[in-house]
Amino acid sequence: MRIKTAGISEFIQHQFVQIVQGITAVLVLILISSAVHAQEIDILLKGGHVIDPKNNIDSKMDVAIVGDKIFRVAKDIPANTSKKTVDISGLYVTPGLIDMHTHVFHGTDPNSMTANSYGGLQADAFSFRAGVTTVVDAGSSGWRNFPLFKAQSIDRAQTRVLAFLNVVGRGMVSRFDQQDVSDMNPVMNAHMINKLYPDILVGIKSAHYWGDFTSVDKAIESGKLANVPVIVDFGEHTPVNPIESLFMEHFRPGDIFTHTFSEINGGRESIVDEKSRKVKPFVFAAQKRGIIFDVGHGAGAFNFNQAIPAIKQGFLPNTISTDLYNLSMNAAMKDMSNVMSKFLAMGVSLNDVILRTTWNPAQVIKRPDLGHLSVGTEADIAVFNLKKGNFGYMDVRRTKISGTEKLEAELTIRAGRVVWDLNGISVPEWQMPATTN
Amino acid sequence: MLNYKKVLPQVFTVSVFIALTLFISPIQSMAQEIDLLLKGGRLIDAKNKVDAKMDLAIKDGKIFKVASNIPATESKKVLDVSGLIVSPGLINMHTHVYAGSKPGFTDGTSSQLPDAFAPRSGITTVVDAGTSGWRTFPDFKSKIIDGSTTRVLAFLSIAASGYSVDKAQENINEMDAQMTAETVKKYPDILVGVRIGRYETDDNWAPFDRAVEAAKLSNTPLFVECHLPKYSLEDQLKHMRPGDIMTHAFENVAERMTVVDEKGKVRPFVLDAQKRGILFDIGHGGGGFWFNQAIPAFEQGLLPNSFGTDEHRTSMNSGMKTMLNVMSKYLNMGMGITDIIARGSWNAAKSIKREDLGNLSVGSVADIAVLSVNTGKFGFVDSGNNKINGDRKFEAELTVRAGRIIWDLNGLSAKGMAKIN
Repeated sequence: MRIKTAGISEFIQHQFVQIVQGITAVLVLILISSAVHAQEIDILLKGGHVIDPKNNIDSKMDVAIVGDKIFRVAKDIPANTSKKTVDISGLYVTPGLIDMHTHVFHGTDPNSMTANSYGGLQADAFSFRAGVTTVVDAGSSGWRNFPLFKAQSIDRAQTRVLAFLNVVGRGMVSRFDQQDVSDMNPVMNAHMINKLYPDILVGIKSAHYWGDFTSVDKAIESGKLANVPVIVDFGEHTPVNPIESLFMEHFRPGDIFTHTFSEINGGRESIVDEKSRKVKPFVFAAQKRGIIFDVGHGAGAFNFNQAIPAIKQGFLPNTISTDLYNLSMNAAMKDMSNVMSKFLAMGVSLNDVILRTTWNPAQVIKRPDLGHLSVGTEADIAVFNLKKGNFGYMDVRRTKISGTEKLEAELTIRAGRVVWDLNGISVPEWQMPATTN
Repeated sequence: MLNYKKVLPQVFTVSVFIALTLFISPIQSMAQEIDLLLKGGRLIDAKNKVDAKMDLAIKDGKIFKVASNIPATESKKVLDVSGLIVSPGLINMHTHVYAGSKPGFTDGTSSQLPDAFAPRSGITTVVDAGTSGWRTFPDFKSKIIDGSTTRVLAFLSIAASGYSVDKAQENINEMDAQMTAETVKKYPDILVGVRIGRYETDDNWAPFDRAVEAAKLSNTPLFVECHLPKYSLEDQLKHMRPGDIMTHAFENVAERMTVVDEKGKVRPFVLDAQKRGILFDIGHGGGGFWFNQAIPAFEQGLLPNSFGTDEHRTSMNSGMKTMLNVMSKYLNMGMGITDIIARGSWNAAKSIKREDLGNLSVGSVADIAVLSVNTGKFGFVDSGNNKINGDRKFEAELTVRAGRIIWDLNGLSAKGMAKIN
């Protein structure tokens, strides 16, 4: 009996211990997992409308960030799983924007146009406040002065700065320098891109050339050697070079025509016929062939007489960009969100505008790691307020159209870090500190 | 004989022609007289004690006329600014605009180009806070000041090189009151005073005294941006003369005593200094503006005389953002619009003895900001990353510098609606 009793008691004890151990284990597991869970997410953007064209997302979704990466995009991620939750209901969440055409080789050469000069601006002064996390410099530097550009501007910027290398070795010093065919060296250009800076250099720029197709062809030769696209500012040719030949004979699919909607009498052929206001048929064919049309608004390269008929006739640019530099910043261009809002005012949908400032430019510059919100990618994110009201948008001739919407960057995140917060949506409310008497 | 019947009609015709010529030509010239007319705005001009609906006419880069109803027919260009505020072009009292390619501020990447932030914020004049000294000023002038659309004035640093990251600037031998004062006097149109900056290694008062000396010799105000724990706030204020300016007024950092004590009271010696005529500039920067200082100070009567932003690479994207954002903080803290505009223009101008600026007097240079006050739900962040909520926010619709439009947010001055032929 005693033994039996003891046995029963031992049995019960054993059972009890097991149960307690089990419960404890479960409790510990719950505690551990909930603790891990609670600490798992660093920043949770909750209740916003996500537009991520690459992943075909256009709906209300939460976005979770851990460290510098996108951790999760899903409906209703619980706020208690994140250290910080930002309520962004009523706002749009997009991948951090890519501005495909900028000049950010800021420096002090008084005789230079945008290479190491005051014509080039600091990327950080214009990017984050417009939702931009990546800018691409459009040929301000060439292979000779790119290392200076990198040390002086790129390495000091919080904005991700990528660059097209100018086909001319000394970059965009002056229009005169752009004519120097002897300084267009495809082998050196390709070496610079492939051997030294493949992570930063995304293509070759040809611009402001007065002669025939030499500059373009040297750029394309460089582009073939380096396996990168070329971007061409096709202005200032005397006599005017035919763009049909550029698009259909010289360009490879993937090469980029910038200043798409410029209309200048002499020096440059427009894509929309000035008399009939019809998009030239070969332009559609070129786009179908894979030629990329970039906006590159700038101070002189965006005209409603081109853009409005083109859009009405079903021609949309592949990428929307600013051509940011000292002369465009305070004129009709202003900043990336203003240029995007201008396209909204011309009737382009928000989705189409976001596509052309995120995933499209990422593909054009062969950086598929950028321009989307896939899990595991670097957390470059923009949160926009689509303001309603009466707004005006100018072109470079200072004529305007009116619009009822305007994009405003509320929050910009670069590699998981908040770098712009217009209205303090990511920070706590101030409270008068308790006074000690 | 004169045939009156024949001649009279001719005389009449000629007379009418002469009369019409005499009569019309002044009208025609009057119609051409004004270059730009801002019509129907709320004009706020502290110097002239105006806060009323007034039209403002600009001719040849100068203010030509301010009156309650100037006919549109008298101007070549008329802008309807009804519902908007017409203010003197704003003056940003604390900036770093000696932008260049070196590390740090002097000729460096920490400074910002004035035209990159001023026009879009209604600012027509920026004052550089000692980013150059007597040795570097000529370079600053030729590289930045002379070529900027924005008017650039400057306090000259007592340190010869300015505000570099070079420790050599803290060398007392580099602080020459005589050279500093002579340079200020040599460029009276640009240099408005002397600045004493961050001297963290020296523990005697020689740098401060030399800066005061330079300010005395040049008869200009001293701009104090001093982070040295050994200089107590009380002693700094004691060394300052009426009219001297203390920036970073509402900071809350280890290097300088705060203006508000632990009990939430503005320290009496600070209020005494204000009474004595010491001026306080915000100098917001990345770390220089805290609600736990500014709000009690505002409630207890310690007010900023000017809204300097301390514009630089790291402040621009922080809680500071723009001068209008900083002004909007005070709007939502309870300061009136008229008062804010006064401090953003006329008060600032007076403090640097540039009474030609910051006003809309007839004959003054036509530096003008046209501002909207947007309503909605806004948040404003301080240097401690805390926010206050607000319902109003300033925005620059139009900025005019010497009669020329240098910023036009919504195409107010556009030629007309785009027409596609």
